[in-house]
Amino acid sequence: MPKVTIDGIAVEVPAGTNLIEAARLAGVNIPFFCYHPYLSVVGQCRICMVEVEGAPRLAIACATPVTDGMVVRSETSPRVKEARDAVMEFLLANHPLDCPVCDQAGECLLQDHSFSEGRDTTHMVETRRTFPGFERRLIGPHVIQNQNRCIHCSRCIRFTQEISETAALTYKSRGNHAYIDTFDGQPFTDPFSACAADVCPVGALTVREFRFRKRAWKLRSTPSVCPGCSIGCNLWIDHHERTVYRFTPRENPAINATWLCDYGRFLADSLNEAHYLHPLHRVDGQLRQVSWGEAIRALALDLAAARTLRVVAAGTLSNETLFLARELFVRHLKGELVVAVHEGEPRRMKNGKGEWLRSRDAHPNSEGARRLGLELVGGERLARFLFGAADLTIILDPTAHPYLATEEALQLLRVSPTLVLVRTDHPTAEVASWLLPVASLAADEGTFTSSGGHVQRFAPAVAPAGEARPAWQILHLLARGLGVTTLDLPSPAAVFAALAAKDKPFAGLAWDDLVGKERSSYREQQHVG
Amino acid sequence: MEPILLRARGVPNSRSLSTYLAAGGYEGLKKALGMDPDAVTKEVLDSELRGRGGAGFPTGRKWTFVPRDHPGPKYLICNADESEPGTFKDREIIEYDPHLVLEGIAIAAYAIRASTAYIYIRGEFVRWAAILEQAIAEARAHGILGRHVMGSDYHLDVWVHRGAGAYICGEETALIESLEGKRGFPRLKPPFPAVVGVFGKPTVVNNVETLACVPSILTRGAAWFASIGRPRNTGPKLYCVSGHVRRPGVYELPMGVTFREIIEEHCGGIRDGHRLKAFFPGGSSAPVMTPDQIDVKADFDACAEAGSMLGSGGVIVLDDTVDMVEAAANLAHFYAHESCGQCTPCREGSDWAQDILDRILAGHGRPEDPQTLLRICTYASQGMTICPLGDAFALPISSIVKKFPAEFERHIAAATPRPPKKLPVLPWAGPRPGFDGQ
Repeated sequence: MPKVTIDGIAVEVPAGTNLIEAARLAGVNIPFFCYHPYLSVVGQCRICMVEVEGAPRLAIACATPVTDGMVVRSETSPRVKEARDAVMEFLLANHPLDCPVCDQAGECLLQDHSFSEGRDTTHMVETRRTFPGFERRLIGPHVIQNQNRCIHCSRCIRFTQEISETAALTYKSRGNHAYIDTFDGQPFTDPFSACAADVCPVGALTVREFRFRKRAWKLRSTPSVCPGCSIGCNLWIDHHERTVYRFTPRENPAINATWLCDYGRFLADSLNEAHYLHPLHRVDGQLRQVSWGEAIRALALDLAAARTLRVVAAGTLSNETLFLARELFVRHLKGELVVAVHEGEPRRMKNGKGEWLRSRDAHPNSEGARRLGLELVGGERLARFLFGAADLTIILDPTAHPYLATEEALQLLRVSPTLVLVRTDHPTAEVASWLLPVASLAADEGTFTSSGGHVQRFAPAVAPAGEARPAWQILHLLARGLGVTTLDLPSPAAVFAALAAKDKPFAGLAWDDLVGKERSSYREQQHVG
Repeated sequence: MEPILLRARGVPNSRSLSTYLAAGGYEGLKKALGMDPDAVTKEVLDSELRGRGGAGFPTGRKWTFVPRDHPGPKYLICNADESEPGTFKDREIIEYDPHLVLEGIAIAAYAIRASTAYIYIRGEFVRWAAILEQAIAEARAHGILGRHVMGSDYHLDVWVHRGAGAYICGEETALIESLEGKRGFPRLKPPFPAVVGVFGKPTVVNNVETLACVPSILTRGAAWFASIGRPRNTGPKLYCVSGHVRRPGVYELPMGVTFREIIEEHCGGIRDGHRLKAFFPGGSSAPVMTPDQIDVKADFDACAEAGSMLGSGGVIVLDDTVDMVEAAANLAHFYAHESCGQCTPCREGSDWAQDILDRILAGHGRPEDPQTLLRICTYASQGMTICPLGDAFALPISSIVKKFPAEFERHIAAATPRPPKKLPVLPWAGPRPGFDGQ
């Protein structure tokens, strides 16, 4: 492997690595705007200038591959400092000074570099270039353009050409009056459109759904996994206090590189919905609020007494929840359990190698259920499963399958006592005898198994709404109420350890290894998105 | 010197194939086809022919960069974009002698083993594109182009492609992008076109005048060609003289004549009652030269030594009526308009320089303006940009600022402060269409 010295720090990097990546490995920060690790290199912004010993001119780090014995100076070179200073001045010459009202502030590469590289004065006294009519332009369903802030890095254009392959965005006009527009003026209906705003280093493209809802520096990011389909894209839940504000992509070269599709991304808002805040019990046709203690005690008695027990789980539940359900309801209580799966819209995602991953599975963890040896069922089988009476029917996620919302399913459920775990309004609530409020993904913890077989952990970002509890915890409480000591596992980590010990497909996996490994310093330091 | 490149100028019916053949045309190609392609390259290498497009890179060397054993197609592109201000030589060659260009193309393509050649011609050259098309059709009909070039087992197709009117498409990688049907953005180098060129294949891009020199190198030999001019600066050169001279036009002279000879002898000197103030030796992208440099030899090395460049040989002569600040502003307007907008220093710098120069001319100059201009020019050149357009705008403007400081001082001394801009207060007209009010 070639060895390169950057600012006096020697580092060995794989052949073909460019100097930006090599410097990152050496712990030296080289600023960039147009460079993106998953897009082609164009060398347009010219801020990544470095001095390579032996070369007469400064070189751009993004387009310079390392060679063995190369000596590079970045921050230690006065020439580099001056050049970057000049480039910052050029970039800021026409960039509006509207950071206080710009929604990108706080996660803006230009702002960051202007603080770290630039100076606080300019020689520019001319009238700034503006693009009248392009200051707040809704170019598609999710993206708002402010061309005045654009620094012409062409990342968004390259994104639509190379990643989403729609070539929806393009340059128009020329020189300093070039601007970004959708090709042929069509609406920017790219299924990955918000990623164009993600890769935008400045506030020229912003996401309409997130704009002005929260300043970037107030947000905390928690690693999680997209619940939208079985591909299992890695994401950050950006939250503040008890509200989830957005999903942003979390780097994982094997699955979603640094992308998210619009469908998955805009599921973020749905995590804030919580219509049920307390356990409810139907007495004489009326739902009555009860405490968790009462509910668990009563349900434990019901469960112990039930001779026929049937459970509808779903591919939306974590491996831990499914494992506890299997152990408790099937192994211990000898009930019947099926996992509802549902084929949804086809989804696709491009991984770091440029390959499309595809999924028609609407649930993030059907693969996990399959690996746990559970029976996966669609609508027809589900109807047969619910047919007839049982002492107790448990529905762990009624929103997982549309069949459960049909009149036919409700008629079937009316026949026997039903326990439903709910978060948002659902028709099954009208027929359930017990309703237990369950936490959203953002307040849950556990693992999903993606269709590609990656077991991926998601962490809790916020506290559950009201008295809601994560599904695994409800099952754990029931197990305790029933006195099943083997299932007295107080945390998802403990559940996963039991699962890994018992189930072959999960053997050898350790809880601590499942998150954080792929965590990208890009997202944390450079806002690559 | 007998004309070589412009020998057909004034000959009746000079564009037709029969006239060209009667004057000994396509003899060079015939000779080349009997030689090994590498021997052809060697001959051009020995002639020390340097690219006439502006950079002056040795043509033979450029051809040797094409990987010989590359599988699949290779391409030759004849750059007839000729967009440099003050340059009008290629048009002249095509006007009178299109077959000379085609012969040069055929020889060069044979030397690099390319079987497809493109002529990328400036979009405005409608007439000259038609001339070339006609010449190609004629040559094909006579078995000179197409399958079995002149009866050999070498095949060559030549296509004319018209540009869409961008200065930057004269830069070889922008030209390649444009030829591929894309936006004319210069590419990052390396890889150079000789390795990854048009459609990702090895490509050589040569200027019209360069290729027009090739047939005579083959017929008369490299030694004859090298005997014109001086070592490393050989052959005939077309000088396009424009501006305040008595007889502007295209002059074919041996490389290495002095600018004094060109301006005073051939062009009849500066127009009556005026003196030379400055001249651009090689198109508007070359740093300006002053009357004391008039004895500099008009070749690549001498111009470089004098701190300028021969470029395309477009000599723009300015007399003492010219306000150099206006000249600089004129240049800045051109380059700000033609900057492709890809990389920061050129995009922002050219526009900024234009604004400063316009402000000085509007009578609102500031004492620090020349310094700011120099700073802009410094950081838009020196390899700070992807392509040489950064240098092309920065070097002439900075040379004007450095060589004519008094003119700037005169403007700035007479300046008045710019009145503060009154921002219009617009009445609220309701939400805009297509905007959701956030």
